[in-house]
Order: sequence, then C-alpha cells, then structure tokens
Amino acid sequence: MRILTAVLRTIRNSRRLATGLVILGVLILLALFSPLIAKAIGGGQDPIELAAYDKWLVPGPGHLLGTDQFGRDVFAMVVKALAVSLQIGAIAGVISTVVGVIVAFVAGYKGGWIDGILSTFTGILLVIPTFPLLIALSAYAKNVSLFQVGVMISIFAWPFAAKTIRSQVLSLRTRPYVDLARVSKARDLEIITTELLPNLLPFIGVGFASSALGAIFGLVGLEIIGLGPGGVIDLGQIIYSAISTGALTLGAWPMFVVPVGLLTLLFAALNMVNIGLEEVYNPRLRGVAGE
Amino acid sequence: MTAEAPPAVAVDKSQDSAPVSGVRAWLSRHPLAAYALRRFGLYLIELWGALTIAFFFFRLMPGDPIQTLIQTLQQNYIYNAQASAEIIARYKHEFGLDGNLLTQYVVYMQKLVLHGDLGPSLINYPTPAQTVILRALPWTIGLLGISSVLAWILGVVIGAIAGWRRGKVGSAIATNLSIALSHVPYFFVALILVYIFSYSMGLLPARSAYDSNIDPGISLAFIGSVLKYGLLPGLSIVVIGTFSWILSTRMLMVPILGEDYLVYAEAKGLKSWRILTRYALRNCYLPQITAFGISLGFIFNGNVLVEQLFNYPGLGTTLVTAIQQLDFNTILGVTDMAIFSVLTAVLLLDLLLPLLDPRVKYWK
Repeated sequence: MRILTAVLRTIRNSRRLATGLVILGVLILLALFSPLIAKAIGGGQDPIELAAYDKWLVPGPGHLLGTDQFGRDVFAMVVKALAVSLQIGAIAGVISTVVGVIVAFVAGYKGGWIDGILSTFTGILLVIPTFPLLIALSAYAKNVSLFQVGVMISIFAWPFAAKTIRSQVLSLRTRPYVDLARVSKARDLEIITTELLPNLLPFIGVGFASSALGAIFGLVGLEIIGLGPGGVIDLGQIIYSAISTGALTLGAWPMFVVPVGLLTLLFAALNMVNIGLEEVYNPRLRGVAGE
Repeated sequence: MTAEAPPAVAVDKSQDSAPVSGVRAWLSRHPLAAYALRRFGLYLIELWGALTIAFFFFRLMPGDPIQTLIQTLQQNYIYNAQASAEIIARYKHEFGLDGNLLTQYVVYMQKLVLHGDLGPSLINYPTPAQTVILRALPWTIGLLGISSVLAWILGVVIGAIAGWRRGKVGSAIATNLSIALSHVPYFFVALILVYIFSYSMGLLPARSAYDSNIDPGISLAFIGSVLKYGLLPGLSIVVIGTFSWILSTRMLMVPILGEDYLVYAEAKGLKSWRILTRYALRNCYLPQITAFGISLGFIFNGNVLVEQLFNYPGLGTTLVTAIQQLDFNTILGVTDMAIFSVLTAVLLLDLLLPLLDPRVKYWK
C-alpha cells in the first residue's frame, strides 16, 4: 500500500514522467489490440500471410501503409512487430531488474567481502562489449522462442541495473531511519522491504527502463545486420527487409519510416520516464519556469 | 572461474602483495601511491576476469571452425582430397584447439600476454589475427575517435549553456530535443542520412571508406576522399552522441547553479560568461571526462552497426564477418581489444583525476 501511494505521488509530481508514461501506454495499447487491428484490416482473412494481396501496393485507403515484397499488409505487420518488440523489452527488463535488485541489495546492504566480489564481477561484465557476444549467440539461435530471446538479451543487461541500484543502496544504508529500524531489532528483510524499497523505487524504475531500452535496441541492431534470431519478427526485422529489398526506391517508404518512427517514439518515451524519475528523487535537477 | 591465473599476471600480483613492514609503513604515509597500487591490482583482476569470460564464452559456442576452413580450402581447389586426420590435427594445433579446454585456455593466455599473439585468422588464413585487427584498427580509431571526441566537446559546451540559461527558449529546445533523441541508436540516424544524402540527392557515397579509383597514400586526393566517405558515418555518431552529452552535462550543471561560490562570483561583479567558464564549467567537465572513458565501450557496440551499414573497413565490419565465418581468433581478438581499451582508459582516468580534481577522494 505504501509503495502504491509512493508511485502515484511520484507520477503526479513530474510532468515529464507523466508524458513518457502516456506515450508508453498508447504504444502498449496499440500492441495489445494488434490481433483486433489485424482482423479489421484483413476483413476475415489474415493480412500478414504470404501473398494475401498484390506485391508492393502503394499506401492508399485499402492499405494505409501499402504492402511489402510478399504482399503482406505493412500496417498490420508493423503493429504486430511493435507488440513483439515491447514483449522483448518487458521480458528482458523484468529479468534484468530482478537480478540487478537482488545483486545490488546483497552487495550494498551486506557490504564487506561479499560486496567486493559481487561489485568486481559486475564491473567485469560491464566492460565486456555485449554486442559481439550477442551476435555470436544469435548466430546459433535459430528458431528460438520470443521468451528465449528475451532471456538471452537480459544476460547482458543486468549488470547495468545492478550498478545503478547498488550505489543508491549504499547511500540509503547509512540514513538515520535505517539505523533506527536496525536499533529497534527489525530483521534485514523487513528493513529492506519497508524502509529501503519504497525509497529505491525511482531507481528500480530507471533500471527497468534502461534494461528494456537496451534489450529492444539490442534485438533491433541484430536484425538490421541480418543476424537476428530466426522466427521472431520485431520492428528491426521490418527495417531490415525494407533495406534489403530496396523498398525505399520502390515508393514503399512506410516500411522503413514507420518502424523507425515508432522505435524513436518508444526510445523518447522511455527516456522521459528515466529523466522524470531522476528529477523526482533529485529535486535540484528540476529546472525553473517549467523548463 | 577457478582456472589458474596466467603467469604474467601472477608475476605482477607478486609485486603488489607481499606486505613487508617497511612497505606498509611507506604506503600509509603515501595514500596516493597506495591508492594507485590498489587500483592497478583491481585493473589486473578485472582485465583477467573479462578476458577469461570472453574466452570461455566463445569456446563454448557450438560450431566447428576447422571443418569450415577445410570446406573453404576444398571449394577453392587448394586441395581436393578428403582431409586426413593428420591434417585436421595439424590445423587444430595451429588454431590452438587441441587438448582440453583448460589447456587451450592456458596456451591462449600465454600467447596473448607474453607475445600479443592471437593465433592465425581463419578468414585470411594464414595471416595472424592480430594483423587482420591492426589493419582495421586505424579506420575505427579515426572514425570513432574523431566523431566521439567531437560529440563530447559539442555536447559539454551546449549542455553547459543549456543548464546555464535555464528557462530560455533555446535552452528548452536543446534540452527537450536531447531527451527525445539521446537514446536513439546511431544506425537510425545513419539510415536516415543515407536515405537523404545518398539515395535522394546522390551527393555522398554510402559504401566503403575511400574511392577505390584512388591509390591509398598520403595524397590530397586520397585524404579528401577519406573525409568525404567518412562524413556520413561520422555524422551519425556525432549527432546522437552530442545529444546524450548535452543531457548529462545539463544534469551536472543545474544542481551547481545554486552553490554559494557562484553567488559570490556574481556579487563580485564578474561577467556571466566568465563565471560560466571559470567557475561552473570547471566542476562539470571533470566528471564528464570519466564518463567519456566509460562510454567508449558502449560507443564500440553502436559502432559495429554503423560500420556494417556503411561497409566501412574497420573493426566492426571485421567482427561481423569473423562471426559469420566462425573465425574465433579474430572475434576474440576484437573483443579482447575492446575490453583492454575500456579498462585501460578508465584506469588512466582514475589515476589522473585525483591529480586534476582535488574533490576526488582516493583514500577511501
């Protein structure tokens, strides 16, 4: 209950955070309704099966964004791919955040040699460039499920979240109210859930948003160089096929522009959430005069 | 992770352990030296750990590089007999793939640390992997180095001004643009730039690093061509990089503005420009230097894609080709290279910053 009120208060206090969340909400709704949208476009048949329509139809009333090289409706494809991208972000974000929070709490709260080992290990993982490892992993990951891709990407995303949260645990640990709780014989777990967690929520939020962003971006990057895992059609896959088929020169610009636009919007929204949260816990960052 | 440490590291470790009473006393009198030694020890541990993880990660990937090599040789009619066990064993030895994993690891580390030898590259057999990497390195350093330094300078300056002139229209525009665009991946901008300048207008080339009709060398024509071909990939890194530096610099700047020493400087009647550069900016750019070192690793990640898109003959393109061909020695070499440069950059910054910035505490 306390956590919920903390969340609501946080959102009310920051316009930037609210804007970011609204954009995210709209994108998520669009993704949730993707089956319905596909139905409406297809009018009874599946608009994204091969050769559903003629190839390379230009955007018009029948097909808002035209069709692709296999005669699939681009609008339906993009909406479905958006859902896939968001799912990947959510899966990887949740896994990374949970692992990051556990590592950060154990390291930051316990301190001592445990902290030393965990922090060094996190530091080591942070300096290994993730992209080569991801490329290598996906080269062997043909026909993997969406969930497996999410797990694959979160392997590389948790150290960042852990690092962000740990530094905060360290600064919170020495606050007077935590000492008070300790003196009053509260158990570790109790202190963590009632005293530390509510104050760390903004950071956990930042960790989640960053991991989700990194995961979506990572997969899109893999797809764009044509090395994405097979069987997963996300926004990057559509961009890749737009580039490789030369869709731009055929007048099928939406196939390239719309996914790029959607992804940019998504990144902007997640970024606003991040910055909004940072401004919440660090009031000095809030500009004056509605900046 | 319990593998035995490679000899070179072990030698270094023995230097900064072995606490003799005299050494200990000297160290307590010289906290800076003690800090430097401890920091260097941590650097060695991190370097060893990261190289080890990378090694085992790639060795545990499925796929048989030797078979790939032999198939390539057969396709090119180098020899058309069935490969005998002897030949396979010979290649295995050359590529450091004989013996069990632990033996391979020790041999690899010995070669790497003592001789800087990564073993032969598979794509360009028998050229050593380090030669392949060194060939690609200047292109990446040129493209990445110039673009990221430029982005950093632009971002810090604009970000400082945006923080300084809070509430002004221009500052608000810069800030909000940065919020919207600072996390957009480099290659998006690259794609859009290619579309505008190459496809639509036909002004700038979108592939490779220089005009293939010009002989590489120190000539005006060649340098001009390199600049012309590097403009688009460079620009895509600069544009996005600048936005993210604007954002973080502003975040550092805004809390400083309420500090007493700035009020005092203003009360002294100093010009506002002078206060910005001499008082406010000085407290912003040092942490940003550290951040720059840390960001190198992330820049490399994005750079792989940009190079691949532009077919630029740098490390990124080399890496992708190597992965497609299972060229493990080259993949590992590029990864090791990135690990080494990020860690070394951060180490140097950590050692230099206490000398530059009296607020950095090194005696924790």
